Amino acid sequence: MMTFEDLSTQIQQALGDAEVSVLDRTGTMDHFTVKVISDAFEGKNLLDRHRMIYQALDAPMKDGRIHALEIQAKTRTEAQGG
Amino acid sequence: MSTPIEDEINKEIAEHKILIYGKGTKTAPQCGFTVETMEFFNKFGHPYELINVLPNPEKREALSKMTNWPTLPKVFINGQFYGDTDVLGPMEEKGELQPLLKAAFSDQAT
Repeated sequence: MMTFEDLSTQIQQALGDAEVSVLDRTGTMDHFTVKVISDAFEGKNLLDRHRMIYQALDAPMKDGRIHALEIQAKTRTEAQGG
Repeated sequence: MSTPIEDEINKEIAEHKILIYGKGTKTAPQCGFTVETMEFFNKFGHPYELINVLPNPEKREALSKMTNWPTLPKVFINGQFYGDTDVLGPMEEKGELQPLLKAAFSDQAT
């Protein structure tokens, strides 16, 4: 099982400055929504931003600890703009 | 160069203006995200195709490699890969998706 903390830590290790918030969508701790705010997304389109997050979570996605992941990825500026 | 399975995928992508690779069929979808994606496109009223890749792990793997995207569903519009509704939703909000669909369906003759 992945804890919220494991998930956040793995994303932060990949994207140094990331602010991560995690939601358990189904109460089963394997369908998550992650909201990630990081300046590493600057100049990158959504596809590439999501790829960065998938890459950071490659192991738990492959071994099934994460079954489904909904992603929101914003830069700091975008997050402030609403 | 390309494998038969890649050729098959490329042909499917070329044949359908909106193509969803997902889990299950239109009448019997087998994944909440696939349903969400179908509902997303139902709003726009354009025809779309849903191809079930659950019975074909080899194709699923080939698709993930081609798109560098690990999850299903995978959406192609007019031959281009656009990820899933987490990408398409924000594009719709920014008004980027509508012109894309319009362009895809304006040249029906070609």
